[in-house]
Amino acid sequence: MMRLYVEGVGLLGPGLDGWTAGRAVLSGAAVYSAAPTNLRASELLPAAERRRAGVPIKLALAVGQEAILQAGRDKQTVATVFTSSGGDNDNVHAINSILVTAPREVSPTRFHNSVHNAAAGYWCIAAGTHEPSTSLCAHDASFAAGLLESAAQVTVDDAVVALIAYDHPHPEPMHKARPITAVLGMGLILAARKNERSLAMLEVDFVSGTTPETVMQDVALEALRAGVPAARGLPLLAALASGQSAQLCIAYFAGHHLNIRVTPC
Amino acid sequence: MAASLAEKELAQLIVTSLNLEVSADEIEPDAPLYGEGLGLDSIDILELSLAVSKTYGLQLKSDDEDNSKIFSSLRSLNQHIQTHRAK
Repeated sequence: MMRLYVEGVGLLGPGLDGWTAGRAVLSGAAVYSAAPTNLRASELLPAAERRRAGVPIKLALAVGQEAILQAGRDKQTVATVFTSSGGDNDNVHAINSILVTAPREVSPTRFHNSVHNAAAGYWCIAAGTHEPSTSLCAHDASFAAGLLESAAQVTVDDAVVALIAYDHPHPEPMHKARPITAVLGMGLILAARKNERSLAMLEVDFVSGTTPETVMQDVALEALRAGVPAARGLPLLAALASGQSAQLCIAYFAGHHLNIRVTPC
Repeated sequence: MAASLAEKELAQLIVTSLNLEVSADEIEPDAPLYGEGLGLDSIDILELSLAVSKTYGLQLKSDDEDNSKIFSSLRSLNQHIQTHRAK
């Protein structure tokens, strides 16, 4: 079992415009109303990077910055774990579209953005940080993999880690093969020790065997959780929003899952 | 000297292909494109070379000894394009 503390939360999704607004929805204090995800490029990026930032960069930086601000941490001193099922799906589509036409001249900017750790690169520029950064993908288990990696870094390295999960839809025709239904990102600042900013203690267990996943009670929020890999963390955010103790299950691969006990601080 | 029609068209291509936050009218014909001035970097120059190739049928090579002169300003880039364009 790994024990860690949540110090800050970031959230940006359809009708979930930041943690303050999202917390009210996730705790049941406000009614969920879907609306386009309110994307904006980070003001911390220099002009050249800002105009090259696609959807995932905007998402990742927005939720990371929001979570770090709440935690009161210095951006330069926080390690990062980025996790996303597809990375920049718009960019993949644009490159694929060029590769099927002669003379197959791929835009240098598209190429520059095509690596899965592009978000990490933009983050390091925006935050001015040289802290360790990990970028993961694990299909529908991307959030669980990110949480597991973050918990391991917090536990083993005593690191303060920003876990940043983000996903957005593929354009057609890939959407038919791999439907991701919305643009959503979330961030969590995780640390080994409790402090005055700690919101909750998480006790994370990696467990073999299948058990039912924790689902969202609201039908629309459950559709979001099930439709976006990064949104698999919504039950955890709902527990943090409620301020109540909770026992959660988030699926991992091949019959494994994470058991997470949430205890408010 | 004010921008010519061809320079204005090239300025628009630069703004569009690089998603610049300035308008084409704001690009001074004789101001530097790279670094100080318009603030373009090496990826922008590569991107711009691709856009010029597609639009004017003119290949700009990365190992051309005259690149710093060609890309020194909107005016010099336009002069090079107008001299060598294939379409």
